[in-house]
Amino acid sequence: MPPREGIYGLLAEFNTPSELVHATKEAHRAGYRRMECYTPYPVEEAAEALHFHKTRVPLVCLLGGLMGVTTAFLMETWVNVWAYPLNIAGRPLESWPAFIIPAYEWTILFAGFSACFGMIALNGLPQLYHPVFNAPNFRNGATTDKFFLCLEATDPMFSPAESRAFLEQFPAVSVVEVDH
Amino acid sequence: MSSGHEHNGGHHGDHGPRTLPASLAAPEILSAWRTRALIVFAVATVLSVFFAFTHEGKNHILRAYLLGYMICFTFAGGGLVLLMLQYVSGGKWGLLLRRPLEAMTRTIWLVGLMFVPIIFLWKHLYQWAAFPTAGAVAEALERHAVTLEQAMTLNAKRAMLNPTAVIIQTAIVFGILWLFQYLLNKWSLERDADPARGTEPSYDRWRIKFENLSGPGILIYVILLTVGAIDWIKSLDITWYSSIWGLQFLVAQGYAVLALGILTVILLSRFEPMKTMLRATEQHDLGKLAFAFVMLNIYLCFAEFLIIWSGNIPDEIPWYLNRIHGGWWVVCSADFICHWLIPFCLLLSRDLKRNKQKMIWLTCFMIFARCLDMFWLIEPNFPDSAGNLHIAGNIGMLAYITVPVAVLSFWAAYYMTQLQARPLISVNDPHVEEMLEPEHAH
Repeated sequence: MPPREGIYGLLAEFNTPSELVHATKEAHRAGYRRMECYTPYPVEEAAEALHFHKTRVPLVCLLGGLMGVTTAFLMETWVNVWAYPLNIAGRPLESWPAFIIPAYEWTILFAGFSACFGMIALNGLPQLYHPVFNAPNFRNGATTDKFFLCLEATDPMFSPAESRAFLEQFPAVSVVEVDH
Repeated sequence: MSSGHEHNGGHHGDHGPRTLPASLAAPEILSAWRTRALIVFAVATVLSVFFAFTHEGKNHILRAYLLGYMICFTFAGGGLVLLMLQYVSGGKWGLLLRRPLEAMTRTIWLVGLMFVPIIFLWKHLYQWAAFPTAGAVAEALERHAVTLEQAMTLNAKRAMLNPTAVIIQTAIVFGILWLFQYLLNKWSLERDADPARGTEPSYDRWRIKFENLSGPGILIYVILLTVGAIDWIKSLDITWYSSIWGLQFLVAQGYAVLALGILTVILLSRFEPMKTMLRATEQHDLGKLAFAFVMLNIYLCFAEFLIIWSGNIPDEIPWYLNRIHGGWWVVCSADFICHWLIPFCLLLSRDLKRNKQKMIWLTCFMIFARCLDMFWLIEPNFPDSAGNLHIAGNIGMLAYITVPVAVLSFWAAYYMTQLQARPLISVNDPHVEEMLEPEHAH
């Protein structure tokens, strides 16, 4: 695949989280949807302003849990009934009360793994390259004390000139074009 | 604009802190709710009287009354332990529940009084009350009123389980619980009336004072509850042993008290001051805590079952066989489904925990599940029901529906009276300010 070329988006830099949140809200109101906030620490209002509430991590976690409980129960049944039947105190081979604890442990194990790795996968990680790092001010500020809003070029509302004018109405430190 | 990390969103009007309502008094609507509870009480009592004329009806009314009493004790005693727990753990959820929990604890004398009728009728409930002396036991053994094993256990356990000893134990349990609730309730008003209120030294002084009483109080409560649970419920079957019994009741109390507490604050949040104070964040936290108790409850119940099932010894296993065989598996399965499966699956959902209407339904259902579980614990102890669930010719069994409703609605009416007696929010607490802050999406 040839490398992608052209504009990835417009990156506005802010000094405070309030300015970032304000700009994000305005952008949402103006109709922008493909945008992202970058902050050095979690800013919950920014997620709110992006209307980013739902994730699919709970679903992945639930599916993992169900997979764990099924796997463990079927495995125990197979071991005890077919693979290695043992008469324990005259109990039936399929003694489900004894199977519950390992099945429960597997549920938690699988649910935990799916939540963890599912979260990482849904975040798009591991990711070796991201275009916003092409902006020098992003490299220096994003993990220390600067707050960024990036309007992405894939948004139908995006136009290099108008979007730049839109961002420059805010007290942004700078608005820079980011290439792929 | 200055740089640096000023408070997020502090500039926007819709994000600023809200103001504490001018009046923190409980809403007037509680009087109407109390009237409704008393109407339910009257209707259920009239219906219950009907069952007295059926076969075995009086016995079933008495057993159902014991069930109602035990659920009331769950709220009064469990309310006390959760009140002490929130003093030791801190947290905004605790401040939110504090006044409802205090109202529950102030019903303790009423619950103690509810035990008095049981004393007069308990020879119909407990074998140790029917045959209080070695002579009576020997005589009962001769006419096959008790089995040999029951006779021997009755004699062996007499030191703890005899009428005088149980009256003394019950009096001690209620006496100490009353003392704890008296101090906690008294201090809580004094704390709000503190001339230095709203200052750091006042916060610290009261926090430490409450912590010092509540820490040992929780331990003492667990011991007292274990004694009470053995005397009132477990000794219905004199021969059975279970070392997890007290803990199981403790967790079940947390389960029921949280359900009632959440129900109370959500219903009150239709009116001021709870309307301002109850945020989705704290409701979510309470839902998560209830979820933990749902999980711990099934964990202990299943642990007890698994150990006894594994041991499979004649001393213990009949207790479960009586509760599974002869149609009881229906109740047993329903207990598992209502008590654990449904609350567990529903409380997994984040949206449900933040939804007021759905949480009202769920918490009511959880209180019902507690009653169902108590029914499953109590009724199979008696020879006519053990391993033989039958309604035909045994219509008096339906008293298990009407009598607990009557007892609980009467208790609820008094609980609402107590709720009205105080402002709904304790103000001399640093959490008040935090709860007035805007909430986040997370």
